[in-house]
Amino acid sequence: MTNTQTPPARAERPTAPPAPAPKGPSARDRGTRLLATLFLTPTIVGIVVFTVVPIAGSVILSLFHWNVIDSPSYAGLSNYGEVFGDETVLVSFRNTLVFMVFAVALQLLVALALALTLNGRMPVWLRSVFRSAFFFPLVLSAASISVVMKYLFNQDFGVINWLLGFVGIAPVPWLTSENAAMATVVLVYVWQQFGFSFLLFVGGLNNIPKEIHEAAALDGATGLRKHLTVTLPLLSPTLLVASVVGIINALQVFEQPYVLTNGGPGDSTRTVVMVIYETAFEQLRFGEASAVGVLLFVLIMAVTALQFRLSRRFVHYQ
Amino acid sequence: MTDSHLTRRSLLRYGAYGAGAAALAGTAASWDRLTGADIPGRDDGSLVVATLGPAYGPEAIRTLQEGFAELHPDIKLRINAVQAVDWSDFFAKILTQVAAGTAPDLVYVATEGVQLFAQRLGVALDKWVKRDAAELKEYFTDVHPSLVESMMYEGSLYQLPVEFNAADMYVNRQVLRRAGADFPPADWTRDDFTALLRDMKRSSGARFTPYFWTNRLWGGVVPWLFANDTNLLTESRAPGGAWLWDGFYPAAQRKGRGGGFRWTTPQVTHDRVEEVYDYLASLIQDGLCTRPEGGNGQNLIGVFSTGRVGVTPAGGFWAGGLHLAGMERDGFDVQYFPRWRTQRMQYGAAGYALLRTSTMQDEAWEFIKYAARKDTLEWLFATNQTTPARRSLLTAGRYAKTGPAHWPVFYDTLDRFPDTGPIPAPPQVAEVEQVLLKHTGTALASARSVRPALRRMQGDLEKAMERDV
Repeated sequence: MTNTQTPPARAERPTAPPAPAPKGPSARDRGTRLLATLFLTPTIVGIVVFTVVPIAGSVILSLFHWNVIDSPSYAGLSNYGEVFGDETVLVSFRNTLVFMVFAVALQLLVALALALTLNGRMPVWLRSVFRSAFFFPLVLSAASISVVMKYLFNQDFGVINWLLGFVGIAPVPWLTSENAAMATVVLVYVWQQFGFSFLLFVGGLNNIPKEIHEAAALDGATGLRKHLTVTLPLLSPTLLVASVVGIINALQVFEQPYVLTNGGPGDSTRTVVMVIYETAFEQLRFGEASAVGVLLFVLIMAVTALQFRLSRRFVHYQ
Repeated sequence: MTDSHLTRRSLLRYGAYGAGAAALAGTAASWDRLTGADIPGRDDGSLVVATLGPAYGPEAIRTLQEGFAELHPDIKLRINAVQAVDWSDFFAKILTQVAAGTAPDLVYVATEGVQLFAQRLGVALDKWVKRDAAELKEYFTDVHPSLVESMMYEGSLYQLPVEFNAADMYVNRQVLRRAGADFPPADWTRDDFTALLRDMKRSSGARFTPYFWTNRLWGGVVPWLFANDTNLLTESRAPGGAWLWDGFYPAAQRKGRGGGFRWTTPQVTHDRVEEVYDYLASLIQDGLCTRPEGGNGQNLIGVFSTGRVGVTPAGGFWAGGLHLAGMERDGFDVQYFPRWRTQRMQYGAAGYALLRTSTMQDEAWEFIKYAARKDTLEWLFATNQTTPARRSLLTAGRYAKTGPAHWPVFYDTLDRFPDTGPIPAPPQVAEVEQVLLKHTGTALASARSVRPALRRMQGDLEKAMERDV
C-alpha cells in the first residue's frame, strides 16, 4: 500500500510576536546619565576652552599677519608659503624629528632596563630609594635643570670635562659643537624624562601574573628569552602608552635646547617650538608662528595616529 | 508620519535649544571684550612704569616710589618689575602686555629696543624737552652727547639715558701676576692683546681660558668689528636733531651729531668682517679663547674670580658683580678695548620710553625727568650694577670699595674715543641678533667655516632687514 497520505502541511512558521514598543530610558537611567553629564561637564568645558578654542584660534591666526601692535590683516595662506620657504623652519622640523627618535628610543630603553632590573630580587627599601631617585628629576623644572646642566657641560669650566680629564680625555665641546650639541640635549632630556616611562613600566611589570612566568619557566624559558617571549608581549600596552606620551612630549621639546644651546651652534639644536617662540615673541610675526604651530599639531596628530595603527600588530592584551 | 520627521515635541525642544543658544550668543556678543585691564586693581589710575625686574631690586623700587611721591604727591606711581632673562625677553613680555590691553605708560628700554619702540610704540619727547629746556640744561651738561644720540630716532629724542655700559676689557690681576705681565696700556693693540693671552696661557696650565666672551650682540663679536672699523650693518646718521644739539651742547660736542643712527644694509661679507672672524677663529684654534656660547656675563663671575679666566669684555656693571662675588678691588682691573684699525668702542644705554597708549603722558614726562636726576641715579645705582649716564656720578668714592682701580675708563671711553657707538639695533633688532648669534656659532666652528657662514649670515640679514616689523 502506497502511502497516499499527503504529507502534513508544513507548519507555518510562527510569526514573531510584535516587538514591544521601544521604551525610553527609565527614570533611573536618565538620572545616571544626567549625573555623568554633570561630572563630565567641567572636563568638557576645560577641553573646549583650553584646547579646542586655542587650536581654532591658532588656525585662524595663521591666516593673518599680526605683530601685536597693529591690527591683524588677512594673509590667506601666505604665512604657510613663508614657512615652507624658510630654511630655519624646515631645519627645525628635521631637528625635532631627529631629537624625537633618539630621545624616545633612549628614554624607553633606559626606563625598561631599569624597571626590569628593579623588578628582580632587591630589598624593598632599596627599590623605593631607586624609584624615588629615578622619578625625582621629572618633578624638577626643566629650565632649572638645564641651567645647571649648562654649567656641568661647559667645555672650559664644566665638571664633566674635568672628570673626563682624569682618564685622559680631552675637553669635549658638549654644547658648542654641531656634532655634540644635539647629543647633549638628548642626554639631558632623557635624564629628566625617563622617570615617567620607568614608573609606567614598573606598574606594567607588576600587572603580569607570576603564573605566566612560572609556566614559561617550566617550559624551559630563562633569562632573555623569558623577557622576549613573555614579558615584552605582555608589556606591549604599557610600551604603547609610554611611546605615545614620549613622542608627543619630545615633539614639543623647548626648555632644554633653549637654555642649553639657544638652538645653536648654527641651527643644529633649534626645535619647532623654539622657532614658534622666536617667530612670535621675538620677531613679532604671530601669523607665521601660528602657521608653524598648526603644522606641528598636524605632525603630532599624524605620528600618533600612525602609532595606534601600527600598534595593532605588536600590542597584545591579555 | 515617518520616523524621519520631527515630532511636534522634538520640534518644540530643538526650537527651545535654538532660542537659548541665540540668546546666549546675543548676550556674549553684547559684552565688551575682556582684557587684562579688567582684572581688579590693574587700572587704578596709577602711572605704570615697567622695568627690567632683575636690575631693580625691591629696595630700589621703594626708593624710586618714595622719592617720586615726595616730588609729585598727586601722581600715583606703580613700578612693574618685569622678570626677564635679557632685553629681548623683556621686550617680548612688554609686547604681550600691550596685546593684553595692559600696556604700561613707561618702559625701561635699552639700546637694543630704542628704535623698535620709537618706530612702533613710542612718543617723541621733543616738545617736553624744549618746554623744560632750562630745567634740563644741567642734565645734558652731565651726559655725554653720544649717549643722547643713541636715544634719538629720525631726528627726535625718545629717551633720556640714565645708564650705559661700554664694552671695555676686564683683566684678572691674579692671572696677570701669574704670567709676570704688566697691566696693558690704554693704547694697546690687538697684537699686544694676543701676546698677553699667550703669556697667560703659558703660565696657567690646561684648565685655564685666557679670553672668555659671550656670543651676543653686546660684547660678543661686535666690539671687534668696531675695533676693525666696520659693523654688521652700514651705519649712517639720520638728518635732524639740531634742535637738541644747538640748545644743549657746545660746538665741539655737537660736531658730526645727527638725528640718531641708521643701520641699513648688511655688510658681513666684507673683508674686515671676515678678518675679525678669522682672528677669533685663530684664537679658538690656539686654545686662547672660548668657543662662542650664549648666555650672559653672570655665568662668568665665578670662574673669573677664581682665576680661571684672564680677560673678558664687560662694562661698569661687572664692578658691582665681582664685588658681590667676593672679589677684592685689586683682584681685577679694567682697560679700554684694544686697538685694531681704530679703537672705537661699543656701548649700550638705557632709559624710559613713553608709550603712545599712555593716557598720562605729562605725568610720565615728570617721571622721566625724576628718573634722570642726579640724586635718583645715585640711590638707584649705589651698588655699581651699571655705569650711570651722568659723568658727575663717576667718582673715586663710588669705586673705593668695589673697584676697579682704573674706574675712570668707564666714562672716559666716551670722551677719549668720541666715535664710540651704540649696538647696531635697527627696528628689526630681534631677528638681526638671532641671525648674528646663529651664524657666529657656525662660523667659528672651524677656520674653514668662516666664509660660508658669513655668506649665509649676509643672506639672512638681508631678509631680516627687508622685513617690516
